[in-house]
Amino acid sequence: MRFMKKTALAAILALAVPSVAAAYSYTVKSPFPGTVTATTYYSSGTFHGALDISSGRCNYWGVETGVMASLSWNVTIRTSGVYCNGTGSGTQNEAKHAFANGKTFRLWHFIKTSDSFDRTCNRCQVGNEGGTGNATGPHVHAQYDQSGSNLTGWYSGYTTKGEAVDRSETIGVLE
Amino acid sequence: MPRFLQGLRALGGLALMLAPPAALAQSTPPAAKPALEGESCSVRGLMDQLRQGLGSSSKAYREYLNAVLREAAVSLPSGELHAAFDRETDPAMVEQLAAALVARSEREAEKDAIQAVARRALEDRDPSVRAATVRAMRRTGALEKTGDMYERLMRDGSPEVRMEAAQNLIEDNQYVYSGHHGPATDTAVNAAVASTDPKVTAKLLESLDTRKLGPEAGQKLLGMLGHESADVRRSAALALGGVPAAQMAPAREALVGMYRGERDAGVRKALVQGIAELGFADAVPELRKLRSVDPSMAPEIDAWIRVLQSGVQEWGLLLREKQRLQQVR
Repeated sequence: MRFMKKTALAAILALAVPSVAAAYSYTVKSPFPGTVTATTYYSSGTFHGALDISSGRCNYWGVETGVMASLSWNVTIRTSGVYCNGTGSGTQNEAKHAFANGKTFRLWHFIKTSDSFDRTCNRCQVGNEGGTGNATGPHVHAQYDQSGSNLTGWYSGYTTKGEAVDRSETIGVLE
Repeated sequence: MPRFLQGLRALGGLALMLAPPAALAQSTPPAAKPALEGESCSVRGLMDQLRQGLGSSSKAYREYLNAVLREAAVSLPSGELHAAFDRETDPAMVEQLAAALVARSEREAEKDAIQAVARRALEDRDPSVRAATVRAMRRTGALEKTGDMYERLMRDGSPEVRMEAAQNLIEDNQYVYSGHHGPATDTAVNAAVASTDPKVTAKLLESLDTRKLGPEAGQKLLGMLGHESADVRRSAALALGGVPAAQMAPAREALVGMYRGERDAGVRKALVQGIAELGFADAVPELRKLRSVDPSMAPEIDAWIRVLQSGVQEWGLLLREKQRLQQVR
């Protein structure tokens, strides 16, 4: 009985121990004015698990990092040049921030510009809307993932397919 | 109030409502209509609003005003904002205006705006103002843009300023860089080494994620194990537990070597924790050897051995398990 009491108390105290990972809550705004063209599933029913946003115009809108916080962004350029309709899987340009808790927020497919470099900023431009990587048209793919799985809760309830968004529109919250 | 008086009052009010406008006009002199004036979002207007709002008892309202100023900062006239910042002497307002300038820098509307804030953090005569400007740079990329500012702040004459600077480095590493940016970690270690305040050094080191620590800063951190303050030695031992793979061997050697000569119980506990973090299950033979050095540390070492043998592969979970074991003991 005494052991059970101790174990129960320990379990309660263990729950009270603060998490080692830092807690954060960051609002995400649209990276440019456009329309949400895909969310959790494509029209075909295939899992997507991210947001696709497109203005329909290639190499036009400056793509902003969107997250309302100062974060260090790692910008990887895999394809130089203006490409609007895809350059093959794995060749997309990418801006990402890896959080201490193992989650990563990524933006894909933009076209390289003079703004495409690593830096710490709050909603800065990293390129233009384009179709580098696995894409059939110009858009940005915004993804929040952990251990290889795409998270969908960050945008659920904030935006839906077909919604027109601009840079002041909240499209999700990262936690 | 008696009921009949209430009735009269109501009747009077009704009469006033029903009276023709002309009759009212005759009884009062005609007043000129107030002219409607267009108002733009100005620095002065925002400051007035902020000054009033900072006295509000509502934390949510105060935070809302802060957020409004930071968001509006990108479209405010730069000259006016800088002038207002230079003029202001109230620390609370200085902090808000500094935060607006930092926001302009972070949003890339005016990349060098942060330099004015850094200058004031280093040079203002009032320590409360210096502390306020340091706070305004928290959770931003200030450490990349301000040269050796943090090392200089560590030697500031005011303990409040030194502590605020340490807090910035901790939170920047944790939230802006998420522990993944080596130069940010190195800046924090260099600042800790430059500090002459053991309390600040200890606070900075014990909260630091060192997984991306550079080799040069790693050497400096090893040197902190010989510090005269037990608090600093303790936090340096904890910080060394998380260093990258290339620096693990010398760190482990240093911690084990130090354990035998260390007299402070708190530092010894930290040394054991550092060794455990560096080796996980591989640290068990080393910990067994250290068990006989100080019998009073045997329960602590046994708890670590039990935790490390559980096979858990994540440091955060191991720490939790260790705390759980201590609680049930």
